[in-house]
Amino acid sequence: MRGVFHKVPLYWGLAILLFMLLFPFVNDSRSTLILLTQIFIFAIFAMSFDILLGYTGIVSFGHCMFFGIGAYSTALIFNKLDATLPNFLIGLVIGIILSALVSYIIGLLSLRLKSHFYAMLTLAVSQLFLVLAEKWRGLTHGGDGFTFSVPDVFKDRTSFYYITLISVAVVFILLKLFTESSTGKVLKAISQNEYRAEALGYQTLHYKLIASVTAGVAASLSGALYAVSLRFINTNVFSIEVTLDALLMTMIGGMGTLAGAIAGAGIIEFLRHYLSELAMTFPIFERWTIILGFLYIVVLLGFPSGLAGVIKKFTLKKGRREKKRNMKRAA
Amino acid sequence: MEVFINLLVNGVSTGLLIFLLAAGLTLIFGLMSVLNFAHGGLFVWGAFSGAWIFKETNSFLLAIAGAVAVGMVLGWVLERFLIRPVYGNHVRQLLITLGGMLVLSESIKIFWGPNPIRVNLPAWLEGSYQFDGIIIIKYRVFVIVVGLLLYLALWLLLSRTQIGLMIRAGVLDKEMVQALGINVKGLFTFVFLLGAGLAALGGALLAPYSGVVFAEMGMQYAILAFIVVIIGGMGSLQGSALASLIVGVAGAFMAYYMPDLSLALNMLLLAIVLLVKPTGLLGEKGSAV
Repeated sequence: MRGVFHKVPLYWGLAILLFMLLFPFVNDSRSTLILLTQIFIFAIFAMSFDILLGYTGIVSFGHCMFFGIGAYSTALIFNKLDATLPNFLIGLVIGIILSALVSYIIGLLSLRLKSHFYAMLTLAVSQLFLVLAEKWRGLTHGGDGFTFSVPDVFKDRTSFYYITLISVAVVFILLKLFTESSTGKVLKAISQNEYRAEALGYQTLHYKLIASVTAGVAASLSGALYAVSLRFINTNVFSIEVTLDALLMTMIGGMGTLAGAIAGAGIIEFLRHYLSELAMTFPIFERWTIILGFLYIVVLLGFPSGLAGVIKKFTLKKGRREKKRNMKRAA
Repeated sequence: MEVFINLLVNGVSTGLLIFLLAAGLTLIFGLMSVLNFAHGGLFVWGAFSGAWIFKETNSFLLAIAGAVAVGMVLGWVLERFLIRPVYGNHVRQLLITLGGMLVLSESIKIFWGPNPIRVNLPAWLEGSYQFDGIIIIKYRVFVIVVGLLLYLALWLLLSRTQIGLMIRAGVLDKEMVQALGINVKGLFTFVFLLGAGLAALGGALLAPYSGVVFAEMGMQYAILAFIVVIIGGMGSLQGSALASLIVGVAGAFMAYYMPDLSLALNMLLLAIVLLVKPTGLLGEKGSAV
């Protein structure tokens, strides 16, 4: 019986994936395709953040730095070299290596600290990256940013849609395997009670480092795709808003469930898209970020496990009711 | 020599402004282990409401009083509706206060628009003093005097009054104080309001100092205040004062000699302190590890 319950989300996932694969054939709106692409990119970013927040219980307020590192690595490669696929791979790999290094060093220095200190330190380091990108104008053109051309495969909206969709699916599967591996189980233990995990003989710092490097690498991938999707980059990729996006998506979707992060990315990007369209008729919606802020606070206070938690509660209640009914019938 | 003295005055006055922000943070943390990420939001609300009241009424004292009042009201709302429901849960505290910060700094843009606002100096504080060719801007001296007076007042409050005694005891051992029949939650609300008022005051004083205010400045100064609080030691008022001066003066000198490295210097200071003495310069409680 339990096995069947376990399989239900899998069928759902496959159904959604199939729908998304067929979607471009039934849809002819360019903006919807772009919006979905944007959702996929941020879904990867939100999932990477969920590895830290949901699965390991680490609060990082500087996650934008990995997003930015990935974005800038790709953008700079395309700016300096030709727009070919191998160059994209080079940029991607450079971004991933840099992110892995940075997350490793930061983690080594600060993951042993208490949560407040880690949150503050990551925030400060990410701001340092922002300042670096703004001051190193020779390379980054500062806040003005620069445009660059990308390979033709990425220029075509439909093929880029498929590339991001497949990336989401692959990252989701890899991260799911990671969280269900023995390492993932230790991470879950750390999030529930770090001292107990340590008392059981696990070197928690070691495991937290693995989590933070994994999250950094995945975030770097999403940053690279983001830069390619815009064909433009400026220092905004290092801004605190990017970290807040990840936070909102993970919290609203439900932390500790990778699917929740994807759902959260969808909700936030949809809201952002339609609220900024509404802003054209009702100027009050120009400040839609504040609406997201209130939503975030309400979710945190009222539904700490997010959308995924609400759904789980609902299905559990239903399951229990059915079970009761069955038992009554049996009696 | 002239440059040296000028930089010193700049550094000390900036440091004291940061101290106003850091004092609230460090006391709030020391008493309840709540790290308030929304503190910068109170600061920027103080700056904007102070600047606005000053523009409308042309009275600087009224502007400062109004800013402090606004800061305290917002602080009360923050404490009552955001922080109180998540007492004791560090992760949720961190997350929710960051949400508070987001709402506070975005709502600034609703009231005053997204663009930076120019702020003028009050007439009686314009101009500068001259001693043998050394020019010192009047307003900076004013900030230094106010900052020192506030530090003195805070120190007197903490060391000479009944409530100060309770706060210090609460910082040392919250459970013990509670067991002795003192309402620690009420005490915490008081400290939170005090900290909120100080943050707003810091913002109101900073507005004419920098000449321009913008919504993102809350986060910038909050980061400086965090750095100061860590360097000084969580929960230690003296530590925060000392670290504020260090960060302010070092920042002023770096901004003059190596402008690109000024933020990096603070990060370096932070990293060294965290690695060598994670409790901070004068901190006893709230070790970082």
